[in-house]
Amino acid sequence: MIAAETGARDDLARDRRRLGRYSHIARGTVFRPRLRDSSSPDMSDLVIARDVPAAQRRSLLRDLREIAVDELWKYRELLYELTLRDVRIRYKQAVMGFAWAILMPALIVAAGTLVRFAMAYMSGGHVARDVIAGMAVKALPWAFFVGAIGFATSSLTGNLPLVSKIYFPREVLPLSATFAQSFDSTIGAITIGIALPLLGIHYGLAALWAPVLAILVFCVTAGAALFLGCANLFFRDVKYIVQVLLTFGIFFTPVFFEPRMFGPLGARLMMLNPLAPLLEGLRLSVVEGHNLLVPLVIVGNKGAVVAWSPWYLAYGATWAVLGLLVSVLVFHRTEGKFAEYV
Amino acid sequence: MSERNGGPRIAFEQVWKKFARGELHDSLRDLVPATVRRLAGRGPARDELSGEEFWAVRDVSFEVRPGEALGILGPNGAGKSTILKLLTRILVPTRGHCSITGRAGALIEVAAGFHPDLTGRENVFLQGAILGMKRREIRSRFDEIVAFAEIESFIDTPVKRYSNGMNARLGFAIAAYISPDVLVIDEVLSVGDLRFQEKAFDRIQEMCTSGIPVVLVSHQLERIASLCTHALLLERGRVAKRGTPTECIEAYLESARNSDPAAAHMSGLTFDALSLESSLPVRSGERAHFRLSGTVAAGDDAASRDFTLRVRALSTGRLIFSASARECGASLPEGGTFEVDVELQFNVAPGVYGLELAVWDAETRRDVVSGPGVTVRVEDGALTFSGTSHLLPRARVLPTAKAAGASR
Repeated sequence: MIAAETGARDDLARDRRRLGRYSHIARGTVFRPRLRDSSSPDMSDLVIARDVPAAQRRSLLRDLREIAVDELWKYRELLYELTLRDVRIRYKQAVMGFAWAILMPALIVAAGTLVRFAMAYMSGGHVARDVIAGMAVKALPWAFFVGAIGFATSSLTGNLPLVSKIYFPREVLPLSATFAQSFDSTIGAITIGIALPLLGIHYGLAALWAPVLAILVFCVTAGAALFLGCANLFFRDVKYIVQVLLTFGIFFTPVFFEPRMFGPLGARLMMLNPLAPLLEGLRLSVVEGHNLLVPLVIVGNKGAVVAWSPWYLAYGATWAVLGLLVSVLVFHRTEGKFAEYV
Repeated sequence: MSERNGGPRIAFEQVWKKFARGELHDSLRDLVPATVRRLAGRGPARDELSGEEFWAVRDVSFEVRPGEALGILGPNGAGKSTILKLLTRILVPTRGHCSITGRAGALIEVAAGFHPDLTGRENVFLQGAILGMKRREIRSRFDEIVAFAEIESFIDTPVKRYSNGMNARLGFAIAAYISPDVLVIDEVLSVGDLRFQEKAFDRIQEMCTSGIPVVLVSHQLERIASLCTHALLLERGRVAKRGTPTECIEAYLESARNSDPAAAHMSGLTFDALSLESSLPVRSGERAHFRLSGTVAAGDDAASRDFTLRVRALSTGRLIFSASARECGASLPEGGTFEVDVELQFNVAPGVYGLELAVWDAETRRDVVSGPGVTVRVEDGALTFSGTSHLLPRARVLPTAKAAGASR
C-alpha cells in the first residue's frame, strides 16, 4: 500500500507544482519520525512544526570569512599534511634528491644564457655576469609558477576518490600543491642566494624587496592555481591549454630578457603580464640594487625607455591580491558542485 | 548554526537534490553553446527539471538526536548514497537544508585518502587530517589505530606493498578511532576477514551506543535491525515509510517482493488468497495453520504445478525456511482451482515473521510469480531458548564407566 501511495504521487509535473508551493521553504517545517508507534501509517501525523532559520544570503564578506575561518584555519593541519605528502612523494624513490629543486631553474638559466649569448654575439658584445645573475633571479619564480600551476591544475582531478568521497575544504588541494612547490623554491632561493655573490653581486638595501615580491608571486600563483584547478575539474581540456600556455609563456614573460629591450611601447606591453613587474622588480632590486619606489628611465640610442616605475609594482600587487580574491571566491562558490561534476 | 536544545544532531529539512542523466559539459567546447543558451534566457530555472534531469532525493526530512540511530534502507537508486553525501557535505542540496552540528565522523570509503608511496604511518596522519583530526589527537590514538588494524610490523612499509585486507583494515581503524560528535556509516561493515569483520562490527556498535547521533545506510537489514533505533525506507528518492527498523524492513521486503511482475505469464499458476487460520499471536513452538487458494491452468506440465513456501524473519529479512509444496506433501490438481492447508510449527524466537508464496523457476533461478504474503507475530511460549531457531534438542546424561561398574 505504501508503494501504491508513492507511485500515485510520483510524477514530475506534480513535483514542479509542489516545489512552487514550497517556495517559502526558509520558514519550513521539520519532520521527525515518531518512535515505536506502529499505529501511524500516515506520514502527516509525524509533522512537528518548528522554525528554521532563514537561509542566509551569500555575501562577499560572509564567503571570505567562511573560507578563512571555517575552512582554511580549521583545516590548516590538513593543508600541512597534504603539503608534506606532496613534498615526500617528490623526494621519495628519487635519484636526484634535493638537486631536483634547482634543476628546473638551472635549466632555464642555461637556456637563457644561450639566447643572450646569441644576441650578444650578433651585436658584438659579450654576456655580462649580472645578466646571468638577473636571469637566475627571475628563473626561480618562473619555475615556481610553472611547477605549482602544473601540479595544481590536476590536483582536484588527481585526487578523485577524495573529492567524491570525503568532505574537506577543496581549497587545500591546489594550495598544498602550491606550498609543496614553494618548498622546492625555497631550496632554490637559498642556493641562488649563496651563488649570486660568487657572480660578483653585492646585496644592497633594495634586496629587502625580494621577500615582498616573493609573497606577491605566491599570491598570483595561488590565485591561478585555485582558478585552474577548479576549471580543470569542470572542463578537462583546461589541462592541455595550461600545458601549452606554460610551455610558451616564458617568451611572453621577461625571464630571458628585460622589457626595456623592446622599446618604450614594447616594454609597457610586456609589463601587462601580471608576473612581469614582479619578476623584473626582483631583478632590479636584487641584482641592480634599485629601490622599487623610484622610477628608472634608461636613455639609449633609440630614445628613453621607462625600465621601472612604482606603478608597475602597484599593478603587479593589484593583480596578485585581486586575482587571489576572485579565484578564491569562484572556487568557493563552485565547490558544492565538485562531487557532481568530477 | 547552534541549536537551542544544544548537543550534536543531524538535521535534514525538506531536502531536494537534482541530478542530470548523461554527460555533463566536460570540455570548454560544450560550455560555450550552453552558456549562450542560458544567457539568451532559454535555459531552465534552478528549481525546474529540464529534459535530462531527475530528482534523486525529494522532500526528505529527518532529524537524529543524541542516542538515536537512524537506519536508511531502500532498493538501489532510491537515493541512499545521495543522502549520505548530502549529510557529509560532499553534495549540496538543490533545495532545503541539511546540517550536522558538531564534528562529523564518516565511515565511508575508508582508504580513499591513502597514497601508495607513503608508509602506513604517514598515511595514518594524512588520512586522519583528511577526516578532520588534529595531529596531536592522531598521535595520541596512533598505537590504538595500529593495534586495531593489526599491522604493527608493517607500519613503516609503503602502503602500495600492503595487501587489500591490510589496506582496508588500516583505513577502517583510522575512521573508527576518530571521536566524532555525530557518525555517518556507509556499508563498510564488510572489511577484512570474518574475525576482523566481527571486531569492526563490535567497534561500530560501541560507537553507535555511545550516545551520539548515528545515520547508517546499509543493504544488510540485520545490521539496521541490530544497530538502529529508527529507520526510514526510501523509494525513488522519497520517504516511503518511517518507523521502527522492523516496520521499515517489513515494508521494504514487501515492496521488493512485488517489484517483478514481468514474468507472471510464464507460469500457469496464479494465487488468489492466503490467510492465517489460527488466531494471532502464535506462541513460540506452536503450530499455525494457513489457508491458500489459487488456480492452475489446464494442460500444464507437472513441473509448473508446484510453488514455494518461504518464511522470513522480518526484523532482518533473512530467509529462515523454504520448501516446495510438493516437499511439504501437497500435489496440486492438473487444472482448475485448488485450496491448500499448510501447517507450520514456529520453532523460532519471538519476533515478526512473514510467510510468502512464490513460483520459482529453477532454470532462471528467479521467481516467476510472486504470490501473496502474510505476517505472523510470534510471542514467547512454551519453548525457552535463545538464538533464532529451536532445534528440538534432546539431551540425556550418559552413565559413566564407574557408575556402570558399580551397578554391575
